[in-house]
Amino acid sequence: MSAHNHNTDDTLHYYEGDQSKLYSGIMSHHTDVKSPESKKQIGRIWKVFWILLAVTIIEVVMGMFFSHSMPRALLNTLFLVLTLFKAGYIVAVFMHLGDELKNFIMLILIPLTLFIWFIIAFLADGDFWLFMNTTTPVR
Amino acid sequence: MRNSHADFTTVKIYLKQYMANSTAATAETKAWGGGRSPFNVSYGKMMMWFFLLSDAFTFGAFLISYGTKRFFSAVWPDPNHVFHAFPFMGHADLPLLFVSLMTFILIMSSVTMVLAVHAGHYGDKNGVIKWMLWTIVGGICFLACQAWEWTHLGHLTGGLWGTFTDGTAPKAIYEGFYNTSSEAFINASPAQLSEATHNFYNFFFTITGFHGFHVLSGVAFLIIILINVVNGTYENRGHYEMVEKVGLYWHFVDLVWVFVFTCFYLL
Repeated sequence: MSAHNHNTDDTLHYYEGDQSKLYSGIMSHHTDVKSPESKKQIGRIWKVFWILLAVTIIEVVMGMFFSHSMPRALLNTLFLVLTLFKAGYIVAVFMHLGDELKNFIMLILIPLTLFIWFIIAFLADGDFWLFMNTTTPVR
Repeated sequence: MRNSHADFTTVKIYLKQYMANSTAATAETKAWGGGRSPFNVSYGKMMMWFFLLSDAFTFGAFLISYGTKRFFSAVWPDPNHVFHAFPFMGHADLPLLFVSLMTFILIMSSVTMVLAVHAGHYGDKNGVIKWMLWTIVGGICFLACQAWEWTHLGHLTGGLWGTFTDGTAPKAIYEGFYNTSSEAFINASPAQLSEATHNFYNFFFTITGFHGFHVLSGVAFLIIILINVVNGTYENRGHYEMVEKVGLYWHFVDLVWVFVFTCFYLL
């Protein structure tokens, strides 16, 4: 019977209810923004920034100077791997998904695996249409 | 109906016992029975994640349809030739440099956003204000860059969507968009070039436009939340979760740009 643990009956508590307790519950140990723990986290944020910047510079250099000399398939594979690498850092650190419970992480990531099928199916279809349009039927 | 009152009392007693039992059972065993958060995430934050998941599928559908059309085409514009201009640099050939600047601005604004969220965790109101302001500045810079790029591409061709519709136009008009020494360009017919360039332009403006609109609404959300921060709304509430929620949205916009950047400018 205690689904909502209102301390007071004002509007804010009806709106937020347990939610605010849940939030401040996790963060309650945070007090001083100048504490060593806080500074360590800020350091981690800047470290991820430098990683993202370095990967982007590598991508741009590859795109500018190697796009006509390297095999296209190898170049594209590298681009995709680096893109997923950057996306992983943004989601895990900047969006704090890495700090959530494992079940929640799976709740977000598992539906995204549908993209593997989407991409393979649709690109193969486009490729097949090109093949059909450029092939003369043999009778 | 003489017994109705007695029956009603019996039912009431039974209900009372039942509810007392079920409450106890919930508290002990059922994580999903209500009254607790199995994912340890508040409602608003979870719904923001679900919204972003749905938005990821929308952007994914756009990018995959772009990829399908590209695989369908015998020839496709070369990003190193299309995107090579820089403001105030005239006709200098600077492939990908301007879009790299845009990417840098968006990554930077993502960093200032996560620093605002961090300051919020520690209840540091001035820190939240400072970093949110920088994030808004970054968002506006990105939008300005995109406005310049769209204007520039529009000037090249006299329009944005629906250009390159004449399949009999001479091949020379496409030279600025392709690596003209490539075999695919040399073998392509004017009709194929018209179709490919037309599709490329339509997809480019649709997808970067949809992303730019996300940035624009993100800036609007950030301004609204910043006003609340300045007014002390979240200080009174005791936490800055709204900053974290708007931060999730902002990081997602950065995340989408990472994929748009790869699909349009690199691949």
